[in-house]
Amino acid sequence: MIRQDDLRARSPSLPLPSAAVLRDYGIYLALLALIAFFSARIPEFRTWDNALLIVLQVSVIGIIAIGMTFTIITAGIDLSVGSLLAVAGIMSGLFAQRPETPLTATLAFTVPILLGLLGGAVNGAIVAFAGVNPLIATLGSLTAYRGFIVWFRVNPIYGLQPYYGVVGQGQVFGLPMPVLILVLLAIAGWVILSFTRFGRYVYAVGGNREAARAAGINVALVTFAVYVISGFCVGVAALVFTSRLMAAQAISGQGFELQAIAAAVIGGASLFGGRGRISNTIVGALIMGVLFNGFVMLDVPQPIQQMFIGVIIVFAVWLDAALRRRRH
Amino acid sequence: MRVALAVADRPGPVVRLRGVSKSFGGTHAVDGVDIDLLAGEVHGLIGENGAGKSTLMRILAGCFADYDGSIAIDGAAVRLGSPAQARQHGVALVHQELSLIPELTVAENIALGREPAARLPIFLSHAKTNEQARCVLVECGLALDPTQKVDRLGIAERQLVEIAKGIAGNPRVLILDEPTSSLTVRETGLLFRIIERLRVHGTAVVYISHKLDEVFAVTQTITVLRDGRKVASGPTSGWTEARLVQAMVGRDLGSLFPRSFAALGPVRLAVRNLGRAGAFEDISFSIRAGEILGLYGIIGAGRSEVAHALAGLAPADRGQIELDGTHLRIRSPMQALAAGIAFTPEDRHASGLVPMLSVRENIVLSALPRFSRAGLIDRAAEHAAVRQFLSALMVRAASFRQEVSSLSGGNQQKVVIGRALMPRPRALILDEPTRGIDVVAKAELHGSIDRLAREGLAVLLISSETLEILGMSDRILVMREGRLAGELTRTEASEERLVALAAGAEQ
Repeated sequence: MIRQDDLRARSPSLPLPSAAVLRDYGIYLALLALIAFFSARIPEFRTWDNALLIVLQVSVIGIIAIGMTFTIITAGIDLSVGSLLAVAGIMSGLFAQRPETPLTATLAFTVPILLGLLGGAVNGAIVAFAGVNPLIATLGSLTAYRGFIVWFRVNPIYGLQPYYGVVGQGQVFGLPMPVLILVLLAIAGWVILSFTRFGRYVYAVGGNREAARAAGINVALVTFAVYVISGFCVGVAALVFTSRLMAAQAISGQGFELQAIAAAVIGGASLFGGRGRISNTIVGALIMGVLFNGFVMLDVPQPIQQMFIGVIIVFAVWLDAALRRRRH
Repeated sequence: MRVALAVADRPGPVVRLRGVSKSFGGTHAVDGVDIDLLAGEVHGLIGENGAGKSTLMRILAGCFADYDGSIAIDGAAVRLGSPAQARQHGVALVHQELSLIPELTVAENIALGREPAARLPIFLSHAKTNEQARCVLVECGLALDPTQKVDRLGIAERQLVEIAKGIAGNPRVLILDEPTSSLTVRETGLLFRIIERLRVHGTAVVYISHKLDEVFAVTQTITVLRDGRKVASGPTSGWTEARLVQAMVGRDLGSLFPRSFAALGPVRLAVRNLGRAGAFEDISFSIRAGEILGLYGIIGAGRSEVAHALAGLAPADRGQIELDGTHLRIRSPMQALAAGIAFTPEDRHASGLVPMLSVRENIVLSALPRFSRAGLIDRAAEHAAVRQFLSALMVRAASFRQEVSSLSGGNQQKVVIGRALMPRPRALILDEPTRGIDVVAKAELHGSIDRLAREGLAVLLISSETLEILGMSDRILVMREGRLAGELTRTEASEERLVALAAGAEQ
């Protein structure tokens, strides 16, 4: 049935399974190698509590990176996440500061999510319906959202009501709540991308916009939706972040967009669209978290850490591209 | 001026390939090929897709540093490790895929990589660039403005510029890989005159094409590759088309146009006075169930634009479209598909496929609502449908999980058609469905199209290949300058009448 020239047509993918395996699972190996390295050198590193601490520290960026992965798969990007987190955090904090009533409590938990959705919808409308390049559109909203919240409330908000701490500091079955939320959102993101029609359309729109349109997909709607998803994740992250710190500031979240993008990109998502996985993004975030945690324990100065993480990002992307090239 | 002139008098081949091999992983793409390229000769290189033609020529153009075997140019052994080295030895390759930079002018593209310097080093001379390009264009007989940006040009003009770029360095060896895939009859004639002029000047030309009539028209020697090996080689006069095809596929092919012409059903798709400003005007026709209506014309005649209007990609601004008697309003591909009109675009890379998605994911892309409940995809139903389509369309893939970009062109095209058919359309519009695919895949695709018509689909077949249009169509419409220039029945139609109508020579 299969003829000689057909074998030839696909032969490049056959003889190097190791490269393919490396490409698909290399990031897991990298994470394991890092963990093994730090565990061997630092006794305090290899404890359950420290593992939980790492995941806890990663949770906010991880949650944001889930939404970021959606936008990146469509060949888009959402730079506004850090500013939107500050907007949602301050607004949530304003309600959490008030004496606890059913109304204020409900608003404290729902307002950040609704604001996240709204901020995402604004980004999505500008990108999908007005057709502005996502980098520019969200660079604009990064600036505008930040400007708004600094103007609206320049002073930090402290003294949040104790009930509010449940999201950031609570525990379920010994797991910190932020970690649980991260895991649940990651599973939801994975199910959406892998098992739903919408998820398939996200990859199609990013892989080839024209082909997706010709195939009868509502490209604008899919594009709009990924920014709403990103905004939703930011809203949840804002709630977790504010609740964990029990304080909100207008200058929170600066640089979070770069960390979230780095997590997705270390996880192999392509900024040109069409490629990316939630699980790999989470591993990408964990790699940064482990490095950060390990470096602190080894007393590596913070500027050196930064330099190292920068090198890691470029190296990971280069490695991914190199492994991909070997198949062709 | 031409270095090649002196070479014409020199005996011995310009290029001598001996035992040239190249493998990708474990498979031999090119396996021990010997070929001599002579000055003043056009050498046809044919074979199915994947036979190794393009790989062999890319070795000669320096694209692969790690080939085995020996290459001698003018009797001296050389090692071609990079495209720059190959170019120094006078080898120029005109790629199958267009490689022009749209934002640069025609002249800047032609000069790319060997820009003439101004008086001060590192500065470019625009005047010299334009002057050189003008010379090359005149030499090629192309009436193009060298200062025009390439993105203003049509696909055919771009291909001609690509060829001009190849000629610009006065190559000793010019390799043309499928140079006519976007050209019409007139432009192909122009290309043949350019080739003839080069040949007389002593250039060794390699001509790779799937179009056998062109190979017969332009070459003096034909070499056939199959599975990376040279299976036969000899003077063109000694070959017949049947023997060539047999050598290419290693067996008899049967008919290239297996058309059964069954009885037709009622009118399926009716189009009246369709028009879009600046694209086409006053287009009316109808297609019956089981009918294949051919749509012929030169590139730019407005055929694809009519198809885009029916498919919702670029909606018409006036006229009516009816499917099975129901009036349709088509403003987007979504609406066209929902109404029952499916479309396969002419450029499968640009708008047909999502390269990094798998074969399965591509094939069901337009029909996902059918395979999902509450937004969740029913994998089992999806697999069953994909499996059925892959075998019905004879798609050869190792697994339907593999990325669609790793398939050969013919199999990719089958996937595009599968995607269009998956939502069960009642009318199918095929825009150049067999461009650039090998003869076996072509025959299989034609078989599938015939079967679809027999099953009651109304098919609109757009093709620039007269043989395909003649072989497959019940009736043929010819478009010229955005309007219908004529309609021919299967019995009236001939290659001459099609070309004449398309060119405006017949009323």
